[in-house]
Amino acid sequence: MNKSLDPRVNRLNLPEGELVPKVPLDQFGTFEVFVQAKEGKEYRHEGIVHAPNRDMAFLFAKEQFSRRNTCVGIFVVETRNIYVTGFTEDKDNIYSHISDEYPEEGFTEQYEVFHLNKRGKQHEHIGSVPAKNHQHALALAKPEFIDGPPVYNIWVVKTSDILFTEEADKIIWDTLHEKKFRDAADYKAADKIKAFKERQQS
Amino acid sequence: MYGGGNTFEPMKATGIENEDPQKLAEFEARIERGEKIEPHDWMPQLYRKQLIRMIEQHAHSEIIGALPEGTWITRAPGFKRKLALMAKVQDEVGHAQLLYSAAETLGKPREQMLDDLVSGKSKYSNIFNYPAFTWADSCFISWLVDAGAIVNQLANARGSYGPYCRALDRICAEESFHLKYGHHCVIHLATGTEKQREMMQAAINRWWGPMMHFFGPPDKASVHSEILMRWKVKMSSNDDQRNQFLDMYVPKIWELGFTIPDPNLKKNTETGKWEYTEPDWEEFKRVINGDGPCNAERLAVRRTAEERGRWVRKALLAPKTEYVTPLA
Repeated sequence: MNKSLDPRVNRLNLPEGELVPKVPLDQFGTFEVFVQAKEGKEYRHEGIVHAPNRDMAFLFAKEQFSRRNTCVGIFVVETRNIYVTGFTEDKDNIYSHISDEYPEEGFTEQYEVFHLNKRGKQHEHIGSVPAKNHQHALALAKPEFIDGPPVYNIWVVKTSDILFTEEADKIIWDTLHEKKFRDAADYKAADKIKAFKERQQS
Repeated sequence: MYGGGNTFEPMKATGIENEDPQKLAEFEARIERGEKIEPHDWMPQLYRKQLIRMIEQHAHSEIIGALPEGTWITRAPGFKRKLALMAKVQDEVGHAQLLYSAAETLGKPREQMLDDLVSGKSKYSNIFNYPAFTWADSCFISWLVDAGAIVNQLANARGSYGPYCRALDRICAEESFHLKYGHHCVIHLATGTEKQREMMQAAINRWWGPMMHFFGPPDKASVHSEILMRWKVKMSSNDDQRNQFLDMYVPKIWELGFTIPDPNLKKNTETGKWEYTEPDWEEFKRVINGDGPCNAERLAVRRTAEERGRWVRKALLAPKTEYVTPLA
């Protein structure tokens, strides 16, 4: 291969010849990421990260979702720990399809409930209920939340499956301190163009 | 932001004749109403396949696109430019992650997409198969290649697939500084010494051909593309996007006293369209099929990263993890 223009690439000593496809890899699992944009706002689903565990997922999520947009909190939960209801259409509230019956197994602990209020938008945290299992949590959420605006889809997550940040760690969200170089406003150049044009004309 | 036009080989015909007519009608009615399609909705195979291909190529373009600009991080003139370029390249890699996630909701795992990139099975934006010889090349990419991508991305953000639109909204918001930064760099060279101006002009001359290729060859009218337009997968034709780019940026290049290496380039005042020399589409085909100046290096860098990072991934792998498709 020719010498690269990038000194870092040259230092890699890239092997010559044909590319050998890599062997199929096992995957890291996916974690769903929820972000709180401002104090007092709900946590909203923002996207996913791939990670080997919850702690790494949190680090990746912080890098991905608070690098440019500031926020005051993030939490992550493994995708398969989210209990998802069916979806409804139009003004049909999914709660009216939720059964009041639930299996009796499990110990009572806290569950978090997320609503999808509009097609094309993202799930938002609405509240929590103490329940024995996911179906139980849904049955308990029903009387509590059914009277709000229609809900199209619900996610239920056991609180202990979520990785939260501590109140004392809030300082980690101060990510844009002295990072004006990430800001379009830091690149004003209209004066330079104007001066240039005037020079051209004279 | 690095996505290009719909520039790649047409898909092997996946017809819609085998689809359930009632479901298809409901699907089309939903798009007609301006609603987004979400991962759990029924969708025709053609829609799914075309979107996976499109979003995946866009994601590949982001990580490969980071390479020619990344070349200049260590040699960017001054601390401020280094910081900004590093931040920009970091953003692009973040954009790839957002896009891979959106494509994954359609059922293709991320590792499979990365495999297909490294093996050459799936493509990325052709323009990154060209080398960035000087700092001015890096400035051209930051300003004008990003600008071209923004034309493309703003169109796609109005498309019909929910997760892709949401990723693009986020990407567009993060882009705010890239274009300004790129323009700032070019203005600095334009208003600098004679040597700096020459360097920038040379970069424009080198990159104009690939830039015209960027939006892809003129669309051939076909039933296929008519369907994809109706389904809001493809939002505007390659020629329309090229014209929009020329309309927005040629005056800005001219105002800095630079020339564009195409004697036929001018705006037809009657039609409002730009006229230009048709770029060399044979070269475009040749480069996209692997015979460009940097194809081998770009893929080799990716493959080396995969190979040399393998032990880290292996060490971290939780053996009990089962992959599930992300939710939204």
